[in-house]
Order: sequence, then structure tokens, then C-alpha cells
Amino acid sequence: MATIDFKTLGKEVVSKARKWGADETEAALENVKDFSASVRKGDIESLQKSVSQGLGLRIFINKQFGFGYTSDLSPSSVDETIKKTIELARLTESKPWQGLPDSGPQPLPNLDLYDPDLVKVPDEKKIATAREVEKIALSLDKRITNSYGGGFSGGEREVGLFNSKGISFVLKMTQCGFNVGVIAGEGNNMQSGGWSSSKRFYKELDSIESVAQKAVKMAVEKLGPKPVPTKKVPVIFDRYAAPSFWAGILGALNGDAVFRKATFLTNSLNQEIASPMITVIDDATIPRFVASSPVDGEGNVTRRNVLIDKGLLKMFLYDSQIARKAGVKVNTMADRGSYRSLPSAGFLNVIVQNGKDSFESLLKDVKEGLYVMGLRGSGTDATTGAFSVGCNGFWIENGAIAFPVDGVTLGGTTLEILKGIDKVANDLDMRSSLNSPSFRVKEITVGGRKG
Amino acid sequence: MNDFIQNKAIHRRAFLKRGLQSGAILVSMPLWKSLSAKEIEALVGGESAAAVPASLSKDELQKLLKAALSRGGDFAEVYFERTVQNTIGLDEDKISSATRGVDMGAGFRVVQGEKTGYAYSDDLDPGKLKEAAETAALIASGAAGPSQTLKSFSPPSYYLVKVSPDSVAAKQKTELLIKANAVGRAFDKRITQFRAGFSDMTKKIIVANSEGLYVEDTQILTGLSATALALEGSMRGMGYESKSGSYGFEHFNPKLAEELARKAAEMAIRVLPAEDAPAGEFPIVIAKGFGGIFFHEAIGHSLEGDGIRKKTSCFWDKLNKPIATEAVTLLDDGTYKGGWGAVNVDDEGRPGHKTVLIDKGICAAFLQDKLNARLMKMDQTGNGRRQSFRFYPIPRMTNTYLLAGDFAPEDIIKSVDKGLYIAKIGGGNVQSTTGRFVFSVTEGYMVEGGKVTRPLKGIMLMGSGQDVLMNISKVGNDLLIIGGGTCGKGGQSKPVGFGNPTLKVDKITVGGGKA
Repeated sequence: MATIDFKTLGKEVVSKARKWGADETEAALENVKDFSASVRKGDIESLQKSVSQGLGLRIFINKQFGFGYTSDLSPSSVDETIKKTIELARLTESKPWQGLPDSGPQPLPNLDLYDPDLVKVPDEKKIATAREVEKIALSLDKRITNSYGGGFSGGEREVGLFNSKGISFVLKMTQCGFNVGVIAGEGNNMQSGGWSSSKRFYKELDSIESVAQKAVKMAVEKLGPKPVPTKKVPVIFDRYAAPSFWAGILGALNGDAVFRKATFLTNSLNQEIASPMITVIDDATIPRFVASSPVDGEGNVTRRNVLIDKGLLKMFLYDSQIARKAGVKVNTMADRGSYRSLPSAGFLNVIVQNGKDSFESLLKDVKEGLYVMGLRGSGTDATTGAFSVGCNGFWIENGAIAFPVDGVTLGGTTLEILKGIDKVANDLDMRSSLNSPSFRVKEITVGGRKG
Repeated sequence: MNDFIQNKAIHRRAFLKRGLQSGAILVSMPLWKSLSAKEIEALVGGESAAAVPASLSKDELQKLLKAALSRGGDFAEVYFERTVQNTIGLDEDKISSATRGVDMGAGFRVVQGEKTGYAYSDDLDPGKLKEAAETAALIASGAAGPSQTLKSFSPPSYYLVKVSPDSVAAKQKTELLIKANAVGRAFDKRITQFRAGFSDMTKKIIVANSEGLYVEDTQILTGLSATALALEGSMRGMGYESKSGSYGFEHFNPKLAEELARKAAEMAIRVLPAEDAPAGEFPIVIAKGFGGIFFHEAIGHSLEGDGIRKKTSCFWDKLNKPIATEAVTLLDDGTYKGGWGAVNVDDEGRPGHKTVLIDKGICAAFLQDKLNARLMKMDQTGNGRRQSFRFYPIPRMTNTYLLAGDFAPEDIIKSVDKGLYIAKIGGGNVQSTTGRFVFSVTEGYMVEGGKVTRPLKGIMLMGSGQDVLMNISKVGNDLLIIGGGTCGKGGQSKPVGFGNPTLKVDKITVGGGKA
């Protein structure tokens, strides 16, 4: 691929846009090199290898706003994108808060997110990893009857951000991972399980055996679910099921929704919304971590933010425009998917802090209850705060796991659940952009199959 | 679903990640916000000439296919795409955003046995295209495969497009939004927020393969949506309505904008006093239209050829066997005119097709793409679809709907003593191995003594495809097919249409807060 120098192109786009009429402008450039392989029952199922790039352009004229993107970085296409995006901005109406973030260029911390060795790993070795993890998974337990296959994917991403307030940087980061999915059981009693490992650095990937074992365990332990009655019981959320739950809470913390009074947490700032055992932070500054980034989607330097402090709601999620609209200090949390999407208020790396209890002690004094292993959705209706979600897991009897359950629902209100958390485990395992320890809720309505 | 909460995409991404691990599949309903990429070529008086670069002329394609098969393989294919997406959004009483995106590239696929090699390039330089073709070829080994001379064919069209949304002046689009806003805001003083959006996408594709197939198609999808938020004390209600399909601009006018705005506002007000939903097992009545999501999830995904061939779907051995009550005849129909999922050709160049999936309760067919059809020795059904040139095609639904039955909708409601009436479904997901699905309901009511009574919030429906299809007892005579949905599978998003008449499910697990 003809290497395009992002610094040169980015600065050129910004200066042309200014010359042609933009008050403020921002060019996001991206180049992604991707590899992925999937293997099923020992044979390669697919191999994919590609390079792609593009430009995303935000234009502000008199606080009017237009956005354009193109995957074609040829000079004529770039010029056309600038011109058309300027015309788009002129079609909209002015809103006083629209524009670039206030901050100018700042030094970026080096978070060590690029693995120079990844590119040296031969494709054959990556394919072998996918093959091996599946092979081991299929051999671990005779109840495993089928395979979704094993996979490996990895690559590097170069992003450049350039704006008319002087922000100008190019970052390179790597990511790689492998996964496996299996099926246990037969006929009407089939259950699936899968697991993966994803890291910035190839050498830090989990062992192939551990990923295979976890996938098998997740499928096998679900076999033979039994129905349970509808009733209120204590509910334990497993650390790997909990992130789905927190995603719902984070949705309700969106600063724009708060400004519009469209979330049930609108009036909850500095109020107790959860048990004092709950502290939630957003921290993308952890070196080498898969969800870390020195900057957010608008080019603001990231920092550690406390969202919920011992149960008190301390912060909503804002990007710089929404913060300006709401009249609050800027928080550095604009999420951005790719050059084809806009930055918007979000989170980068949320960590629910560990509690004091061992996981066993969550289970110990539950006479009858539910241990949730998987949630189908987040459960929280951000508008009303009503909570309902489907899940699978285990029924607990006398402090021990009794049998698997599937197809049950949890219902109530999100605030009752948050405030009802009575134990938080110390079993946090940092894997993705949303991380939580296991926790227990005093009581939730479980909807079963016997009415 | 909360359209005023912008980071909804985060949840979706989380689901998609999980999906990759365990085969979960989901669908979500509109949010103009998430009609993903955006457009307004027309706004800027655009260059609608989706010119095909010279590097992709028929002669060049022929050479590229040969390069793709240079190391062997049964089959090679080039997929070219140029997509322009435009949106205009109205928010807080103002035209607040206008966006336009151009995405262009070519994907190369080489298949040998069950193996697929794939590479794409968004650089259409002849050298880069050849490199991509040769990269895809790495999957194969052996003598060079055969490649037929390309022959064009023209499929019939199922798109209802007279006036290309591209050719329409921006002002006409913004007028629709302004009209909607005025009507929505004026509807009731409790409406405190209102949004409207217009989006259109024009996708030019070329598919050419080593079997001599050459076909071009221009797919146009257009949508207008309205979302309203009502506030009263601490009560909140969200309402939305949209019209979307493969429509030309002639399907959109101020009267329609008014109607959508009014319906969105009405819904927001209707659900304002909603009470917590009950939990447990209940009979439900699903209103016409949105229940199509129900069939999409509860059964559609489980009948897709990949899961069937790999025996990872719970229905893999059910062909010609009863899987539903006799009341159920389910179709997947890429030929449904103007449908949000309509295709003149699928993304493998196969003509759009109407497939009876369930015929009076009997499993009659699977949804097939080329690879799975060949390996299973079955017919292709025009369901090979991909999000963009960055992906290879997989079996996907188009417009999936349940055929009408004999019952009057009122009589179906009357037959329920204590249950729920499901007016709108926001989204759902299914795990096709277990058949287990969930749906979140955005508008639902109690049914008491045969009458629809109080609005409910926080309704979740859960069950398995195997059970629920055997519990469909009554199907109404009022089929409605709608668009605007986006289905996610294997990390790929795709527009899908669906529909249903009013119907009754005798029992299903409802998750709510009241024990």
C-alpha cells in the first residue's frame, strides 16, 4: 500500500478546510491492517487479510456542523470531501455549543500500546493457535459434541487526529486475540460456550489451554437446565456476566440524555444511587491494557475519572460539546468507533472496583437464590429505570450450586438493584473495556416458567 | 430503547462481541441515530454518477478472477461496492446535523471445499486489486481453477424508486423534518423533546464470479423517523415511529411526516403512566408489524444454512418435520416490493427469492448462500448477504414475515382473560444453538377480561423457538410488513424487514418486576 504520510495529509486537510470556509475543523485519519483466521474441526474455514484507510472530517462554520467521510484518500476525493462537508455544515442551523474541544495540543503520555513483535509472528503460527485451541477444547470433555471453531485475529491501527486548534498527533497501536466456541450435548439439550483472550501484546495472550478449558466449562456446566418458580430471591452476578449489567447503567449516565431529562438518573448527581460498596471509575490510562488510550475520540488527553464513589453518583458522561451545552467542566470521555463515525459521549475503560469478600462468601449464606452466568441484554431501561432481562446461570440451595437454569428473567427497578447490592467480591479480572467483580443483590424478582 | 441516549451503540458493540463468542444474534429497531452511516449527496446537489472505475471493467474483472484462481480453488468472486450515505437530523428545534459518507472498495473471495480466502482493498489501483486477489488466493492449493467468460444479466427490480433521494434538493428533506417537529411538539405540552431524521443510502454493487456471472445493482434505502419524549413529574415516556424501505423520495411528503410525528408523540404520552410489568408465564397477543422481529429471532436465525450445515442450530435435523402449529406459515422474501430487506440480487449476485420457510407448521426450507447451499447440495435462496466489501457473504434474512390467518384482531384479544398485549418490540437476540431468545418490549399493556387495559414498562419476553412456535394458537387477518431494523450477526450489520398479523402465543415467560 502506498504509504500516505498522515501528518502531511492531516495538516493539509485542516488548512484547506480553513481556507475554503470552515471556522473550525478536525481531520481523523485511520489506517488498519487486519488479519483473521478461523478453523473448524481442524480445517481452515476462512483466512482474511486486508489493509484499509480513510478520512473523517468534522467542519464547523458559525457553530453549524457538518460531517463527511471517505475511504478514498486520493487528492481529488479528499478535496471533494472537504468541499461537500463545508456545504453540509452550511445547511444546518447554528447551536452555540457546537465546535471543537477547548483544549489545544497537550503532550501525550506513552501508554505502551504498540507491540513491535506482532507483525513478526508468521501467519502460520496464528493459524496454528486457532487450530490448537479448538483441538484442545474438543478433547477436554466427552460431552462436547460440536464446534463453532477456533479463531485468531490481530492487527495494527494507526490513527491521526488533526484540528484547527493545533491538535496534531499520530498514534499506532496493536491488538491481537484468539477464541474458541464449542457445543455440549445433543438434540434439545445443546448448550454453547466460548471464551477468548485479547491483548495489545502477543506475548501477553492467555495460554491456549486456559482459553480452551474456560470455553468447555461454560458449555458443559449449562447442560440439563431445570425450570424454577417465579419468586424473589438473592441474586449473584458473576464477574463475566456483570459487564452487561453495568453497560445499562452507563447508558443512563449519558450527559446529553441528562440534559434532556431523558434518563431516570437525571436528578441524581451527588445522590446515593448504589450501595456504598460500589465505586466505578473510567480509566484508560493503564499501560499496555487492551482498552487503554492516551486520548479520547476528540483528542483530549485521558485521565482517571470517578463515576460512582461509594454509591454516590459523581459524574455523568460528557463529550466536550455536550459538556458545553450543559454548562459543566469537560470530561474526557468521547468514544469514537472509526473514521466513519463521530465522537460521542461514552466511556473508554470502566472498572467497577473490587470489594472485600471472596466469591465463596457471596454464595455461602444464600439459602435459595440465583447465580447469574450470562445476561441477554443489560436490563436497564434508561428512560424509566425499569429493569428486566433474560439470563442463564445456576440455582443456589443452602450456599451451594444446585443445578443449571436457563430462560429465566430478572425484573425490578435498576435503583433497587444497585442499592440492594450487599456483597462485592474481590475477583476482578481485567479483560475488556468494561470490567467488574462478582456482586450479590439482596433480592430480585426471578421470573420462571411456572407462572 | 432510548433515542436520546446516544451511546446505545456501546451496548450493541458489547453484544456483538459476545455474539462472536457464542453464536448469539441480535436485531435492533431503528433509532435514526443508528441507521449508521449517513448521507446527503442530494443536499449538495450531488454527483450521483456512481462511476465504475476503469480498473473494474469487465475485462479487468476477468483477469482479476483468473489471478484469484491462480493457485487453485473451486470458485472466485469479486464484489465491488460504492456506497453513499446521507443523513439530516433535527433536534432541539433545529436542523442540527448533516452528514455524508462515501465508502468504496472491492472484496475478493476464493473458495476451495469448505475453505474461504478473503481480502479486500479500498484502493482501486489495478496493482492493489491484483494484490488483494492474490491474497485471497492463498487459501487454495493446486492447479489453477477454471474461469468462465463473464455474461451480464439483468434481474427484475423490487425497489420502489421513482425519484432517487439523491436527486432531491436538501430543502425538501429539511421541510419534512421541520413539519414533523412542529406537529410532534404541539401534540401535547408534556412532549419535552423531539427528534426527526431523514436518511438515505445508495449502494452501487457489481458482482462477478468465475462461473461467468456478472451483475450490477443499485440499492436504495430511505427512511424518515420521529422520536418523542414525554415528561410528567417523575414519569417518562418514549415514543417513536418511522417509515423505511427501498423507497424513492416520492414516498415521503409532509403529510407522512406529520403522521409519523403524531404517532411518536401519541406513543410517548400513552406509555407515560406505565406500571411495572408482572413476571411469570402468560398468554400474549402481539400486534401486527413489530412482531415480525419475534419470528426473525425466534426462528429465522435458526434456519440459516451455516448453522444448519454445521449442526450448531437446534433445527438442523428438522427439514420436512413439524416445528410450529398449523397456523404458522413463515416466509423470507427478498422480492417484497419496497421492503427494507428487498434485494434484486443478493450480495453474491443471486436474484432475490421468496422462500417458504415454514409451511403450515412444517419446516420447508433453509436460508442459503452459495457456500452452504453447495456443501449441503441444496438450492441457493438469494440470502447471501454482507455488510460491505469488507466482509464475505453469509446466510442472512431479507424480509421475514408470517402470512395472515383468519382471525379478526379484536377476537384474538377477546380470547385472553389475563395476559399481555405487545404493541411494539424494541429489539431482541437469540442463541441459535439453544433457540433461546429475549425481546425487550417498548410498548405493552395488560389484557384483562379480553380487554387491553393498563400500560406496562420493563417487559421482557423470553423463551425458545422450539416451544414458542408450538404455542401460536391464533393468527389474525391483518398482516403488516415494516422496515427499519438492523440485524447483527457475526459482526456484520444488515438491514432487514419483517412483518406479522396480530397473533396469540398461548404461553411465554414474561420478565417484569412484580412477582
